[in-house]
Amino acid sequence: MNQEFTMVEINYWAIAPLLVVVAGALIGVLVEAFVARASRHNVQLGVGLVTYLAALVVLLAKSRTEHGLTMGGSVVIDGPSVFLMAVILCFALLSLLVMAERFGGPAADAFTPMGAATPGSDLERSAESAGWGTTEAVPLMMISVVGMMLFVSSGDLLTMFVALEVLSLPLYVLTGLARRRRLLSQEAALKYFLLGSFSSAFFLFGAALLYGYAGSVDIARIALAIGAASPVLDGLLLPGVALVLIGLLFKVGAVPFHAWTPDAYQGAPTPVTGFMAAATKIAAFGAILRLAYVGLSGNRWDWEPALIAIAALTMVIGAVMTVTQTDVKRLLAYSSIAHAGFILVAVMSFDVTGVSGAMFYLVCYGFTTIAAFALVTLVRHEGSEATDLSQWAGLGRRSPVVAGAFAICLLAFAGIPLTSGFTAKFAAFAPAISHGGAAGAWLVVIGVLASAVTAYVYFRIIVTMFFEEGAGDVVAITPSTLTTIAIAIGLVLTILLGVLPGPVLEAATQSAQFLR
Amino acid sequence: MTSTGEAWAFWILATVAVVTALVLLLARKAVHAAFGMAASMVALGAIFLAQQAPFLGVVHVFVYSGAVMMLFLFVVMLVGVDHADSLVETLPGQRFWSTVLALGLAALLMTGIGRVNYTGTADLSAVNADPGNVPAMAGLIFGRYVWVFEITSLLLITAAMAGMVLAQRQRLTPKATQREWSERRIRSNTHVAGLPNPGVYARHNAVDTPALQPDGSISALSINRTLKARGQVASPVEHVEAEERIQREITEGRTR
Amino acid sequence: MTPVYTLAAAQVVTEVQPTVDASGAASWAWLLVALPLLGAAIILLGGRSANRWGPTLANVMSWGAFGLGAAILIEMLGRAGDERAQSLHLWQWFTGGSFEVNAGMLVDQLSISFVMLVTFVGSLIHVYSLGYMEHDPDKGRFFGYLNLFIAAMLTLVLADSYVLLFLGWEGVGLASYLLIGFWYQRSDYASAANKAFIVNRVGDMALAIGIAMMFVTFGSADYSTVHGGAAGAPEWALTAIGLLLLGAACGKSAQFPLQSWLGDAMAGPTPVSALIHAATMVTAGVYLIVRSNAIFDLAPTARLVVTIVGAITLLLGAFIGMAKDDIKKALAASTMSQIGYMMLAAGLGPVGYVFAIFHLLTHGFFKAGMFLGAGSVMHAMNDQVNMRRFGRLSGVLKHTWWTFGLGWLAIIGFPGLSGWWSKDKIIEAAFVGEGWQPWVFGLVTMLGAGLTAFYMSRLFFMTFHGSGKRWTEDVHPHESPLVMTVPMMILAVGSLALGAILTAVKFPEWLAPVTNGGHLEHHEPVLAIPAIQILTFVLMAAGVFVAWRLYWKADVPVVAPEGSALTQAARTDFYQDDVNEAVFVGPLMTTATGLVEADDQIVDGGARNLGDGVAGLSRVLRRAQTGFVRSYALTMLAGVVAVLGALWVMN
Repeated sequence: MNQEFTMVEINYWAIAPLLVVVAGALIGVLVEAFVARASRHNVQLGVGLVTYLAALVVLLAKSRTEHGLTMGGSVVIDGPSVFLMAVILCFALLSLLVMAERFGGPAADAFTPMGAATPGSDLERSAESAGWGTTEAVPLMMISVVGMMLFVSSGDLLTMFVALEVLSLPLYVLTGLARRRRLLSQEAALKYFLLGSFSSAFFLFGAALLYGYAGSVDIARIALAIGAASPVLDGLLLPGVALVLIGLLFKVGAVPFHAWTPDAYQGAPTPVTGFMAAATKIAAFGAILRLAYVGLSGNRWDWEPALIAIAALTMVIGAVMTVTQTDVKRLLAYSSIAHAGFILVAVMSFDVTGVSGAMFYLVCYGFTTIAAFALVTLVRHEGSEATDLSQWAGLGRRSPVVAGAFAICLLAFAGIPLTSGFTAKFAAFAPAISHGGAAGAWLVVIGVLASAVTAYVYFRIIVTMFFEEGAGDVVAITPSTLTTIAIAIGLVLTILLGVLPGPVLEAATQSAQFLR
Repeated sequence: MTSTGEAWAFWILATVAVVTALVLLLARKAVHAAFGMAASMVALGAIFLAQQAPFLGVVHVFVYSGAVMMLFLFVVMLVGVDHADSLVETLPGQRFWSTVLALGLAALLMTGIGRVNYTGTADLSAVNADPGNVPAMAGLIFGRYVWVFEITSLLLITAAMAGMVLAQRQRLTPKATQREWSERRIRSNTHVAGLPNPGVYARHNAVDTPALQPDGSISALSINRTLKARGQVASPVEHVEAEERIQREITEGRTR
Repeated sequence: MTPVYTLAAAQVVTEVQPTVDASGAASWAWLLVALPLLGAAIILLGGRSANRWGPTLANVMSWGAFGLGAAILIEMLGRAGDERAQSLHLWQWFTGGSFEVNAGMLVDQLSISFVMLVTFVGSLIHVYSLGYMEHDPDKGRFFGYLNLFIAAMLTLVLADSYVLLFLGWEGVGLASYLLIGFWYQRSDYASAANKAFIVNRVGDMALAIGIAMMFVTFGSADYSTVHGGAAGAPEWALTAIGLLLLGAACGKSAQFPLQSWLGDAMAGPTPVSALIHAATMVTAGVYLIVRSNAIFDLAPTARLVVTIVGAITLLLGAFIGMAKDDIKKALAASTMSQIGYMMLAAGLGPVGYVFAIFHLLTHGFFKAGMFLGAGSVMHAMNDQVNMRRFGRLSGVLKHTWWTFGLGWLAIIGFPGLSGWWSKDKIIEAAFVGEGWQPWVFGLVTMLGAGLTAFYMSRLFFMTFHGSGKRWTEDVHPHESPLVMTVPMMILAVGSLALGAILTAVKFPEWLAPVTNGGHLEHHEPVLAIPAIQILTFVLMAAGVFVAWRLYWKADVPVVAPEGSALTQAARTDFYQDDVNEAVFVGPLMTTATGLVEADDQIVDGGARNLGDGVAGLSRVLRRAQTGFVRSYALTMLAGVVAVLGALWVMN
């Protein structure tokens, strides 16, 4: 053997935030094994908070400037990846605060006391009365966060695929852990898992085809290969591109790969739904942006029409389907589909401003979404969440603060000026108009129409909450300080990003340049 | 260019791999599906071998047909070998469209991939000679792709935790001992002598057969509730009938 | 992005008034919005206790804004002509890609006129509401919404870019929506507020798309950039933008074909109808068109459409006004018709802009006054609105009667009162031009004057005069408290004198730098001015006369009391009225009723069908969401095959 083994260059500062979260997750696993059940909740919460904060600090203090490829090209630290990682960590932090809500009970309120117990069985009941809880949710979520952070910073398709699985697998499990309506939750988890695997298969197959085309899974090498254009291998390129993108579009819930979204969102514990909606979307869009702008932009004329059609379809179907929804969580799920369409409009501009527009949109949408789902957890009927819209009637008078806060979220979703929704839509649509050509302009028109439809739905909810008489037994319960903080941050940012979006938009613009 | 022998090997093995994969998909019984998967993996392993990747081929067979399939079979045995899923399709058009679209997808992919033409010889002999098949792979796994390799461990951790969370039923109270059970029975004065045993018949003696009570009725208590839940309770009727037949022969023979 | 069409690209037709940086009182212009906004925030967050101090606070904030506005106006009057338009940079709102949107204010002659109208009439209505809403359990919330409306409306008129205007535009829509639905206990509310919302959305969408087009065409949505660059842009783009702006204006100002919501919006408390749905918000469409004069000057087609829309609405509103017995709905129809006048004037271009605004200001006073009067009547009559149940109220409600009377004389254009000064100018302007247009539009406006005189007189006579009291038994009318009548009196003084005052201070010439590039040219109408004035007066007098015969001299037929001697005597008149009705009023009434029905059927039906269509589509699509994972997988597979197939076909 005359070829020496060469270790890859590892820039530890660049991957330090990832390592911090991995470490936090492992500590969380150990906590499950060694800490007494009674104190696990608090310990896990502490570990989670410290981990996310530490990762955020490391990211902003050190990794931010460590631009470049590391780990042999598996990890790319550049503007978008740093920005998106930071936002993912912020979302995780807020979501954790909401997930840890106990409402005065011994364990996190959203999670089942024992996932393995048959729903409705004696075992489940006794576990509940013993004050058990699924504290494993915290390390699971941290693993998912690692996957998300890696997803937006992966430099090759293999890393991207593993990151996709790392982020998805814990989410499948978390989806099945709702405390109430267990069967619905388990069914949702299974559906999410099956369809997620289905889409992963498409991604993997596409990645294999692209490897066959380029002889490498590196995104940069694929871009080079596309630039060099070898007609004999062309048969691999387009199917490969399409399948890889389909795998990613599944994660953002783009039509027609959206069918899992309402069911999974409805079944999952509500704080997890908020986390999924905000963080998964940002991770998946990070990956889509990197692939579309760095790897596959060379032949974008070939595949762009399909993505344009998907964007249009996503906006229209997402918006139209909100109209007949009667369940708040399902409604927000369809709204998240429509929002995915709006972000795709920004992606389709193929300009650096499109990147910053999409990233800004994701930030705005995420904060509002987490707050909105956190507010959904507060509205209760006989102890369990009242998610049926008819139950929300008259909430505005019984619990004006919660209803008012939810109304602000809805106004932001509707894109009313002075909320983040408006500036976000502007930031997303403006690049499409100036750089997207005729298709971009048409997409914007469709987007405006679709948001008009959704706005109607949101206003109808506001009307239901404030102007209709409702049964008096649906009330909003008072959350703990932590949840209150999370909701307040979400709301304040919803307003602040609408009034003074400058700094964040500036940051997004500064970090919109991909490293090629 | 691919040599003729290699081409033959590929087409045969690939056919086997695809057909057995379809068996995995379409078989009604879990064991058949398991067999299909094992066979498919073996065929794939053989293709790797033919591609001058002996380590990969062997590992493939070891891991999938060996380890994974064994685990799978254990589960099948625990669930019950003769347990078959209902494959009646209730959604109208589901079968038809699934078939049409699957064929459409295959056709589309084939038209794309069929146009591809690789030039040059794909040959691993140089790499296999230096640094060698296994060291070359090790070089990739621990070199270029070390990060992917390490991160994959998170998947295992997730899987382990998921297993614990979703499947581990922890006891909340200590398991009652035999002594406690009997004390409880006597205190409550029910089944003081314990629950009835399963049926014992002249020709049959099994836990899945309920016992008969003195009046000839079936004792539901004599069967383990797990078996009952699985619907694997045998009917004692045939044994009882046989006994009655013997009885009849005896009595009829006497009168005849 | 560099603007596609640069400033110097072509000849500049309309000079855009240059601005200077704001100084003095104008540099505090942000307070105009901040004060009422703060008031709204404090009151709405204050919860129940706001019922005690909220009304006072809201009044203070509103009057504060008025005081500041007055200070700015006075200082502006003292400035040299070319320094009157002042821009106030607030902060950089956001940069979307290469677009940059700044939040800033434009304080010029046009916007300060609106500021004065909004804050003055608004503050008066704040005062009036102290009395009107005195016993409402939720009055804190009401005043919070009112302040919110003032803040949004001032944002709308003070914005220096279309984006910021859009913010105000949505804000007034929200406030209007909240206020229409203020009494949510009323069952008819839900459909009314929803209708207002849907119809307005259509307009808002047009505005959003129009702004998007401005970004495409000019690279910005600042007034200065857009108006400055308009000369260099191709006409089709300007026409498209103009039509989209018109669409927005139609939604907000209840113009044909988006007029249907205004009548239903009367479900809200009457002060709201006076402020939002008569004096200020509904005129925002006119403001938008006049503000965008640089675009419309260069897009004659769009302008012609504006004029036609104005003309149609003018007549439509008048016909509807004749058929309504509900006093508020009749007033709403009249608002629609009067805004039709303004739109028509705005569509006439440079000859009409200033008169559109002139009429808008006078209308704001007399219409608000009449709405407040209507509120006072309802207050007295147990919240009844059916005019057939009124009659002879002049004796009981003295103040209401004379204030309303002045408003009535003003709106019908009685010479010397404020409506005459502004409306006659519009009629004269409508007769300016070449070809068929001056004749059609001129005659329409003239006919409109006659119809206005008829239906407003009908309203006035049925309510305050007539041969008998047709009251229901349980009413005991009484005059409203001073806190309500004083604002009405002030507005009545405005109805009387505002037109003359504004003419005396040469308001049109003062406004001209904003709308006409500084010089107000005089054009000769195709008909001599005295002839126009006399003809208009004759038509008006005829309208009043017919109404007098039908609704003062005669009993109102529907509730004719039987058996009394008085009735017997009236019978003879009644026959005559029958003849009158058959010959003159009958066809008119049939047309009016028909139009009202058509409005209900077609336009509302259209809005309903649109909503139903979306909901129906949604229901169909919903079936795909079966809940079966294998059917979901099938959808995904179909998507994959479709994507691959489409790409394969295309390449």
